[in-house]
Amino acid sequence: MSLFRLAWYNLWRNRRRTWITLVALAFSIMLVQTSHNLSTGVYSQMIESGVRAGSGHMTIYRSNYLETRDEKLGFDPQAFIHQLKSMEAVETVLPRIYLGGLAQSSRESRGIVLSGIDPALEQSINPILKRLPAASQLPDTISRKALVGDRLLEELQLKKGSKFVVTLQDRQGEMVSELLRVHAVVHSGIRHLDRSLVMIGRQRAAALAGMPDEVHELALIMKNGVKDIPADEIEALLPANQELNLYFWDEAMTNLANAIKLDYASQQFMFLIILLIVTIGVVNTLLMAVMERTREFGTILALGARASVLHQMLFLEALILGGLGLLIGTFFGSLATWYLVEKGIDLQNWIAGELEFGGVVFDPVMRAVWEPLWMLKIGIYVISLCFLASLYPAYRAGKIVPAESMRK
Amino acid sequence: MMELIQLRNVLKSYQAGVQQVDAVRGVNLQIKAGEFAALAGPSGSGKTTLLNLIGGLDQASAGQVIVEGCNLAECSSVELADFRLQRIGFIFQSFNLIPVLTARENAEFVLMLRKVPAEKRHARIDILFQQLGISGLEQRRPMELSGGQQQRVAVARAMAAEPAVVLADEPTANLDSETATDLLFLMQQLNREQGTTFLFSSHDPKVIGLADRVVNLKDGRIVE
Ligand SMILES: Nc1ncnc2c1ncn2[C@@H]1O[C@H](COP(=O)(O)OP(=O)(O)OP(=O)(O)O)[C@@H](O)[C@H]1O
Ligand SMILES: [Mg+2]
Repeated sequence: MSLFRLAWYNLWRNRRRTWITLVALAFSIMLVQTSHNLSTGVYSQMIESGVRAGSGHMTIYRSNYLETRDEKLGFDPQAFIHQLKSMEAVETVLPRIYLGGLAQSSRESRGIVLSGIDPALEQSINPILKRLPAASQLPDTISRKALVGDRLLEELQLKKGSKFVVTLQDRQGEMVSELLRVHAVVHSGIRHLDRSLVMIGRQRAAALAGMPDEVHELALIMKNGVKDIPADEIEALLPANQELNLYFWDEAMTNLANAIKLDYASQQFMFLIILLIVTIGVVNTLLMAVMERTREFGTILALGARASVLHQMLFLEALILGGLGLLIGTFFGSLATWYLVEKGIDLQNWIAGELEFGGVVFDPVMRAVWEPLWMLKIGIYVISLCFLASLYPAYRAGKIVPAESMRK
Repeated sequence: MMELIQLRNVLKSYQAGVQQVDAVRGVNLQIKAGEFAALAGPSGSGKTTLLNLIGGLDQASAGQVIVEGCNLAECSSVELADFRLQRIGFIFQSFNLIPVLTARENAEFVLMLRKVPAEKRHARIDILFQQLGISGLEQRRPMELSGGQQQRVAVARAMAAEPAVVLADEPTANLDSETATDLLFLMQQLNREQGTTFLFSSHDPKVIGLADRVVNLKDGRIVE
């Protein structure tokens, strides 16, 4: 006979109460594990589609372009772009130009952002372009064909095939104009983009702005996503004399990064509350068990046990409770995670329209990812919480006065 | 022969609300090793209080309680726990077996607390169960035993660690009179065969009558 067995028997004395506590424990653990795994999956989906529609896993800008968006801060990437592309970790490098300007149709005019891109590179990466059929993609970097945001199209009262004029200031400060033709309509789901986006070939845009061969942004798409980015190696390839800076995705896309951080923080707060409530449940269970067993504990003390024996017994009861809850909870948490990894949840059944978060439109099928280390961490938390939960009941048990407990 | 238990002018008073209750009022008592002695007296005369003082479950308000030369007033609570574990065997009125443990596990409990190896525990309990006539009941839970059987398991638990003295507060109060005398005979037998000192309390004249020596209590004092 050991203390462990005694603790084990004791737990099953009040089966119903133990089961209720166990179910609460297991359910909370399942909930916390599953929702963490799901949000981690969704966040990485968001980050992936965010960086692919936006400025990449890493971005190169000149000087303080990120803050000022000063169009004069272009740079010529010829000298190093091939080296970047041939790096093991790099999937592709997307050169881009962004120019503020005015679009005019025969009836209306609107402020726009004219993006110059390399269609051959972008169409396999950028989720906005990926959705378009092959015939709607831009043919090359020099043509006058333009992709126009759907809202902008509406506001300018244009149609597919219509002509419109874009006017902007070139590098010398001269006003320049270009006649473009609507080649296809794009829809990003992000309101301000859809009402300001005009996409054309990069060389046409560069020529218009009088900055041939220059770009404003180099977006690096990595093969392994945000994991293991060799930032130092990339940095080393950048020429020292061009004031070029390298940014991680969360520095370049602070809206998305902050939205995720905030969301995760509020979730962690929820986790904390859930685990706290469960801990109180464990305290309650153990305390009731102590109160019911006053006489028995009194006997054990009378027989010559030190208070520490009762302390150990209650720690064991708490650990068994926590361990069992963890096992059951992790089993169901893994089952739920497995389902969410394999099948996911299709939000289109619930929510009509686009799913936008932090300025990024994401996949309506939410998928979880496995985070075994985090699940282990939660396990350690739960066990520690159960240990903490046993402290007060153990203290009370040790304070029982044998002579008094037996008089009752 | 040296006194096993010595009480000198022992006083014990309780505070019950604003009222002070003097449960034991100046008791002088000596018990020698090997005695089979009874505490007799009406309800409220202080029997339980006195046994608790001797067993180190309670501290005297004044006077000295000396067991095996050890003044219990000078002991810390941990020392008292160790003293009980090593030197005292307890038998309680309502048996106080641990309900989730089997008869054997209950009887072994004190030995387990003393960290006696399993084999030795086993052997010792086998002998005691035989002497007490409860062999074969080892695997039963207290709920599955009669009162008399439960109390015999409790006697085995008290005797298992070969204590200097077994203190039994009304061990027969919850037993019918036949079972009660049977139990007393068994205790007497253990006293004769193993020389263990017994001090027990009772209301029952038949039980008292089996003691070698009777200490009469009344209102917290010894009366002749
Ligand atoms: N913890 C306590 N608080 C207050 N009074 C107490 C306490 N313990 C005992 N007493 C009082 O001390 C006196 C002696 O009690 P004790 O239990 O020792 O008597 P007893 O001889 O064992 O009686 P019984 O035969 O009914 O068991 C009684 O008047 C009792 O009310
Ligand atoms: Mg009494």
